[in-house]
Amino acid sequence: MRAKGRYLLCAVLAAVLLLAAFACAESPDAGLPDGYTLRAESEEWEMYLSEPTLSVLLRNKAAGTVLESTLSDEKDDGKNKKAWKGYLRSGVVLSVIRDANNTYQADLINNEHTIEYTYFENGFRADIYYAEYGIGFAVEARLEGNDFIATVPDDSIREETDGVYIATVSLFPMMGYTHLGDTAGYMLIPDGNGALISLTDKEGRFATGFSQMIYGPDSGFSESAANTLLWDRYETVVKPNRVTAPVFGMAHTEEGIGYLAVAEEGEDRCTVEAHPNGAMVDYNRCFAKFLTRDIYQQPLNQSSSGSVKTVEKDRTRHNMTVRYCLLSGDNANYTGMAVRYREYLLSTGRAEKRDTSWRTRVDFLGSDREKFLMGTRAVTMTTAEQARAILDELHARGAESTLTVYKGWQKGGVNALPTDSLNADGAIGGTKALKSLIADEGEKGHLILLYDDALRMNAATTAFTYDAVKMVNKRTLKEENTKQVYPLFYRLIPKKSAEKLENLVADMKKNGLGGIAVAGISDTLMSWSLKGGYYTRGDCARVYGEAVKNTAEETDYTALEQPAAPLWRYADAFLDLPLDTSDYMYEDEQVPFLSIALKGVLPMWSGYVNFEANKTEFYLRLAETGVYPSFYVTAEDSSALIYTNSADLYSTGWETWRETVIEYDRELKKLAALTDGAFITGHERMDNGVTKVTYDNGVNVYVNYSETDAEIDGITVGALSWKAGEAQ
Amino acid sequence: MKRGILTRIALFAACIVTAAGALISAPARADTPYKTYTVNGYGEIRETQTAYLAHETILKFGDEAMNSPNDICVTADGRIYVADTGSGRILIGNADSELLGIVGEGVLKTPKGVDVTPDGHIYVADRDLNAVVEFDENGTELHRYLKPENPLYGETMSYLPIKITVNGAGLMYVVCESNTNGIVELSPLEGGTFLGYFGTNYASRSLQTIIYRIILTDAQRAKMVSNIPATPDNLDIDSRGLICTVTRGDGINSLKRLNIAGANLIKKAEPIDNPAAVAAGNHDNIYVADQQGYIYEYDNDGDLIFVFGGRDDGTQRIGLSSMVSGLDVDANDALYVLDSNSATIQVYEPTEFTDLLHSALYLYSKGQYTESREPLGQVLRMNSLFDLANKAMGRAYFQEENYGEALRYARLSKDRTGYSDAYWEVRNAWLKKNLATVIVILIALAVLLRVLKTLDKKHGIFAAPRRALAKAGETKYISSLRYGFRYMRHPIDASYGIAREGRASRSASLTLLILFIAEFLINKYLCGFLQKTVQEGRYEFFTDIGAILLIAAGVTLCTYLICSINDGEGNAKRIFTVICFSLTPYILLTPVSFALSHVLTGNEQFLITLTQVITYGWMAVLLVTGIREVNNYSAKETAKVILLTLFTALILALLIFIVYVLWAQVVEFISAVIGEVSYRAG
Repeated sequence: MRAKGRYLLCAVLAAVLLLAAFACAESPDAGLPDGYTLRAESEEWEMYLSEPTLSVLLRNKAAGTVLESTLSDEKDDGKNKKAWKGYLRSGVVLSVIRDANNTYQADLINNEHTIEYTYFENGFRADIYYAEYGIGFAVEARLEGNDFIATVPDDSIREETDGVYIATVSLFPMMGYTHLGDTAGYMLIPDGNGALISLTDKEGRFATGFSQMIYGPDSGFSESAANTLLWDRYETVVKPNRVTAPVFGMAHTEEGIGYLAVAEEGEDRCTVEAHPNGAMVDYNRCFAKFLTRDIYQQPLNQSSSGSVKTVEKDRTRHNMTVRYCLLSGDNANYTGMAVRYREYLLSTGRAEKRDTSWRTRVDFLGSDREKFLMGTRAVTMTTAEQARAILDELHARGAESTLTVYKGWQKGGVNALPTDSLNADGAIGGTKALKSLIADEGEKGHLILLYDDALRMNAATTAFTYDAVKMVNKRTLKEENTKQVYPLFYRLIPKKSAEKLENLVADMKKNGLGGIAVAGISDTLMSWSLKGGYYTRGDCARVYGEAVKNTAEETDYTALEQPAAPLWRYADAFLDLPLDTSDYMYEDEQVPFLSIALKGVLPMWSGYVNFEANKTEFYLRLAETGVYPSFYVTAEDSSALIYTNSADLYSTGWETWRETVIEYDRELKKLAALTDGAFITGHERMDNGVTKVTYDNGVNVYVNYSETDAEIDGITVGALSWKAGEAQ
Repeated sequence: MKRGILTRIALFAACIVTAAGALISAPARADTPYKTYTVNGYGEIRETQTAYLAHETILKFGDEAMNSPNDICVTADGRIYVADTGSGRILIGNADSELLGIVGEGVLKTPKGVDVTPDGHIYVADRDLNAVVEFDENGTELHRYLKPENPLYGETMSYLPIKITVNGAGLMYVVCESNTNGIVELSPLEGGTFLGYFGTNYASRSLQTIIYRIILTDAQRAKMVSNIPATPDNLDIDSRGLICTVTRGDGINSLKRLNIAGANLIKKAEPIDNPAAVAAGNHDNIYVADQQGYIYEYDNDGDLIFVFGGRDDGTQRIGLSSMVSGLDVDANDALYVLDSNSATIQVYEPTEFTDLLHSALYLYSKGQYTESREPLGQVLRMNSLFDLANKAMGRAYFQEENYGEALRYARLSKDRTGYSDAYWEVRNAWLKKNLATVIVILIALAVLLRVLKTLDKKHGIFAAPRRALAKAGETKYISSLRYGFRYMRHPIDASYGIAREGRASRSASLTLLILFIAEFLINKYLCGFLQKTVQEGRYEFFTDIGAILLIAAGVTLCTYLICSINDGEGNAKRIFTVICFSLTPYILLTPVSFALSHVLTGNEQFLITLTQVITYGWMAVLLVTGIREVNNYSAKETAKVILLTLFTALILALLIFIVYVLWAQVVEFISAVIGEVSYRAG
């Protein structure tokens, strides 16, 4: 009897345990907010979904920490009004244009909609339809290894009501959000070389956050805004940096979780949004906002006194994809993000490893023009022979490996644009002298590239404007300045840019020249209209991409000036990499995100040292980032340029810069020798003002920005100097 | 083994820059959202290196946010005092955003101005309290200075203190809202003694207002906006006790540096549109902040060194402001700019470039000229077009008595005074060295001339050339040309000759005109530096020639038209001839002034001016008498015709202007139609 009772007890206990085990198996999302179901899993991550609001939750298996994509009940501070509530709690939010005048928010809380899910192995597809607007689209989400990929397929978009269109799509606008200063960490924004917005309580100081179009603003839409000018004439405000890489990131550093997001498709018409708490709501959030259709002002007369609001005729047709590269543990920081971005670029062929060996960049200005009598005359700054003398001097004094971008080599000087043949200015010695300079110096290790701004067209030297870009409102796109000789430039229609670049390259090839530095089209995208047709930034990106690709194939060396990310794969060199940010108030720290990602992949050169006011700091920054220095020199003194468009080159004379160039070359070359070809794996700022950069070949670089000597890893680094060596 | 050593004794590369100017200790931002400009010797605006870096933005002191703040004062120990107008208090903090104290809470109403003396006393200008309140360093109220009862203050004049500065003796200089009499000067004695008004601005007087005053009735004048002097907007006191003020809308007098007598020591400063604040710097320099966010730095003479900053375009970048209301500078030359709209303080730090410039200016002001050349040289290496540095370099060389170099730099920087002084010395040295030789040569020449004359007299050695000359002189062309001399000496007789006897040929007239043009161009572009009115290296021959020909043709045409309807006897040819012959004094005298311009200093320029006055006066006399004779007018008729000609010229200019304006309208209309069509056509 006793034994029977014991068996019974055992059976009951076993049943309870079994039930408990079942219960656990049934809800693996225990501890997560209600309503989430596991939908995909990889080695390190789990993806949960809450269907009604398209809310995705990404959980790191090892640490148990999560990234949420919509506002949860627990974190809701209850302060937000209805519209914001809808926004914060939806996985995707649209803004909808109705009748060109009004835009409405369409979210998954406040607007009537249907949502249907289809599941596949590693993700799902949600088909959403707003009957009220006659608008439908789908969101596909997949977990692939350590990447979470969200897409709005282009073919899923339906706009069924006339006059009602999708204007923007914000995909997971709260991915990885945090509340006020509750969670330690930061957001990464692609400003300059990279900047962080820390996740601290901002106490409502900022009305807005970062909102910049990837690859720069669209000049085809916006007429240059009326700026306040000093004495009604001089522009003092410098434009912020353009976004060159389609990335943003979020790191919860204490929790050891985060992501680097790459806008993978549709990024040429997309803004990166990163708003600290206090900007409208008390949450820190970053996301990609895709633009599909815009409203613009169509002026009706020359003086623009009358205009009508017009909606773009057609929407931009492309998939909209964001890849969230998920980070955990020690990698959940900006270095981790940069390293991951590098891996992404190399694995997807978006960048290829190039020769990154040391070269000091010494650019020359050939000639410019100043007004004379009824026309203009050449102001010759550096002839081919003078350039040869300077390079030979550098060679003799130890700077044996240089990169030169020869600007203003073409007939008519640096502003004679466009250029479509190898026709050097007589003032610098003519084509023959230029050719022999490039050939002779090339043999000595001095690589000389011809500079070509393939985007612009000088209004004064070009008789016809039918090749000039017209904005979507059919007005000619003008770039005006207050300079003395050439106050107006147009932009070439992308097809023409490509044609002229092709002609130039062919002519160069015919003459045995193989090095070119392409500017203008490397960092610009725009929409334009032509003969009643309308072309998007996507079209522009395709034409430019093709042109640069062909150039890279036809030449031996193609350097690009501040190239946008899609062009990196064709570049042999990245010129003018910004070392700083745009100084937004909400930025807490600048980090060398781009240079960490690209060091060892592409050789990078800085902007000109000449025009830096704090040279010591700039020098240290070069050591920190592994970016090579650039100088802009002229054989004649820069005072000769005073009446030309290049009057802002206030310090370029070789006499002035000779020693600095040699000094920079001598010192930074030592560092380059230690780190050449290696990748950066660590970057850390210490409290004592020292920055430590770790390379994958074991070399550490210590840069001391403070005015006192500092001790680190048992090494003393002198004030305002750097040291490098293999780890002890 | 080698490898082992390498890994153990790490391989270190040295660094080149170990000693440099003050640098920002943290990895600070080196990219700025604004450009920096300077002014070159010609007064043109030029871009230059970043002078000040926007270092940080102070948003709060501790937990205390500012509320419509209006004034800021930074003391030598780095304490920042902010007149927190909206909250009726003075906030004290530091650059690390730490709160160090709050003063005047519950006492002050709308504190709009604040100043702190070296002993820590805080003076507050409180508008709605109608008082200046003095606190000690602990925030205890010591004195309250109310409206002065002195009748000189003005009984009906309101007392609304908005800005204040205090000198070493405790004298208060107070700017009062709507008080156009000037700055109120108060002594702390007897609870505030009114010492009088100081640094009164002048009412602007334009030609328009003068004409209005003459022609309008009293009633009409009363309706006009009253023309009263502007109240200064802000003020500060420098280390020498001079008061710097800024006044809106005062053009080149916007910035003043006033001595104890109220005299302005700055003759002319680059104008500031909406000056909001002024601060005296540590190197006898002055900073002015414009309401729009532009910051100007002037040197001791009121020459603009830098202008930078700008209006926030909505992108919230450090260094751009939306409504500046206060400015001060600390002991390290860092600037603190108070923005009342965003209730923030922007902190700007000088760059290496600016530090070098400041140290050079400082050394120069202390008389250490040789020492000042080193930093100046560095500045010029960084920007060879920085004329202010060229000027200082020239002055430094002058003080060192290296006049050759001083001359070179003065010319580079377009510093006329410096050039003139250096030139005097150079010329003096040359004269000292060569005077004897020159005298010997002159004597030798005189003797030679004498000998030649004697020989000629005795043996007629120059007879043949003389005959040839005489023969040539008989040709009509030459005699016509020579007639120009006669015309100069006897204008009435000679113009009769031109009018009635056909003594002047057309070819001679044209020759004179060509000579005039040639001399005009040579004089304009190649005269001495001190006389030069054009920029060096700038040549606009075609414009000049075109202008001269156009004026000559226009004057001939107008005169001919007027004369022909006023019964004048002259025809176009004669009038043209008279005009050309009237240029003779210019042709003869300009070489003199041209030569003088190369050997005279600034003090002697009057000789050239005198020559020019004679030239133009003579030309005018010739023209008037010529027109009179050619047309056979009486004096009265001549005067009438000349006035009418001037009037005609005016009408002609107006006509051209109207056609131009109408043309622009037509172009606008056509392009509007095309625009509309192209839009409708899609």
